[in-house]
Amino acid sequence: MKIKKFLLIILLSISLYPQTLFADEAKMIKGLEIFNETAGCAACHILKAAGSEGNIGPNLDTVEGLSYNSVMDIVTHGLGVMPAFGEDEILTKDQIDIISFYVANSVGK
Amino acid sequence: MKKKLKKLKKLNLSRRNFLAGTATLAGIAATASVAPITIANANHSEGKKGLPDFISWKDRNALIVHSDKGIETHRSAIGESLVTPNRNIYIRNNMPTMTDEQIGNRMDWKVSIEGVKNPKTFTIAQLQKLGHETMATILQCSGNGRGFFKHKPRGSQWKTGAAACVLWTGVPMKTVVDACGGINGDAVYMTSAGVDHEPTGLDPKKAMIERSVPKKVFKDAMLAWEMNGVPLPNAHGGPLRMVTPGYFGINNVKHLGKVAFTTKESSVKYMKKSYRISPIGKKGSQYPSCWEMPVKSWITRPTDETGTVRAGKVQIVGVAMGGTKKVRSVKVSVDGGNSWKKAKFIGPNLGKYAWRQFVLETNLSAGTYNLASLASNGPDRQPELRMENRRGYAHNGWRDHSVNITVV
Repeated sequence: MKIKKFLLIILLSISLYPQTLFADEAKMIKGLEIFNETAGCAACHILKAAGSEGNIGPNLDTVEGLSYNSVMDIVTHGLGVMPAFGEDEILTKDQIDIISFYVANSVGK
Repeated sequence: MKKKLKKLKKLNLSRRNFLAGTATLAGIAATASVAPITIANANHSEGKKGLPDFISWKDRNALIVHSDKGIETHRSAIGESLVTPNRNIYIRNNMPTMTDEQIGNRMDWKVSIEGVKNPKTFTIAQLQKLGHETMATILQCSGNGRGFFKHKPRGSQWKTGAAACVLWTGVPMKTVVDACGGINGDAVYMTSAGVDHEPTGLDPKKAMIERSVPKKVFKDAMLAWEMNGVPLPNAHGGPLRMVTPGYFGINNVKHLGKVAFTTKESSVKYMKKSYRISPIGKKGSQYPSCWEMPVKSWITRPTDETGTVRAGKVQIVGVAMGGTKKVRSVKVSVDGGNSWKKAKFIGPNLGKYAWRQFVLETNLSAGTYNLASLASNGPDRQPELRMENRRGYAHNGWRDHSVNITVV
């Protein structure tokens, strides 16, 4: 019984893993595109993983406690000179989800 | 995936360089509706000491790095000799610090004075002939204490260290106004504008730091070129900064280019939309701007930063400020506010806009204690609780600022 359960978990993991991986990979690729081009984040922020050197807002690699939620919050509502990409409908909800995922998974890399 | 991303990064970088070369960035220009920009040279890469290059001269051990543009002073490092050393002073910049190259010859830096009988432009060299004064004020970020708010407002999570007591040297604004024949009769505000947005090429309406304060502020204000005995560092707004005593840091405009006496508040984003104290979930220019600082105090030693506290005689020390009024008294509690004892002010009194140091000598036996301080400027005293607001501004509640210590 235990062996069957174990095999089932292995099988499920194998079948789901590539899907998750591909979804994450697609998000990272799309996120980089939004960061450097669509939203122009690169113009204002350093993010080593994106090769950006903007010097208006903070260097994202140095921001303490940066997370998916904190990026989403700030991208949606803006701060100071940073536009409110969500409130002002500059980016769609999907794009904000992707850029938040991308930045949160790119800082410090 | 790494290979793909690397390839894409290279591709995008070459495209970005091309776009920058043509002085436009498609993304931000098209989507964010701001002026086309060129990429500014990064001057804030991490230096050897773990601080950004533009402030590599600061004391890393005295500072908490929230980001390369939001750097806080440790609670125990604001200085126990009244004035905060420059190397320990916090950094909060809305625009990149201007470089020596961008500033040029400091004596040739210009500031224009408008809304006066005879509008004029002065260089620093000319201002230095006009008058000379030194004064002490508290520089404090509007969001100092934001880190205590439970709803996690956006922005640096400062606790106590976005504040400093500073000696400024410069020319009194009143002297400058007199040299221009006085203020135009219908002016209501003194509006100061920085020029640090100019190298970025961003739309001034969105990026310019232009702040209006009530006209009366000019009577005690200063155009400062020196900070704690040295030429005003670029990172703190050199070579010339507006100092508005008793008013939050944002009104002390850095890299000052213009002072105008105006009938209306500035219409830039940093005046109209930002720095408004609104209820959580609400925003708008109908809410009060971050102007006058409220009465406030906090204990700097002992805290969890200052090491083991031995049972016996203990000196509880801290700083207290009255905002725009003289601070009158401070009380200290060692039992979470159940009982209070009057603390003693020590050290020189540098005027109502500086903070006062206080000390309470007491005996503590082994155990745990909650230490709190409560300042009063006469009409106002610190409330127990924070004033909840959307962006976490103007926190002066004593309970959040209290510290827990263990005595052994």
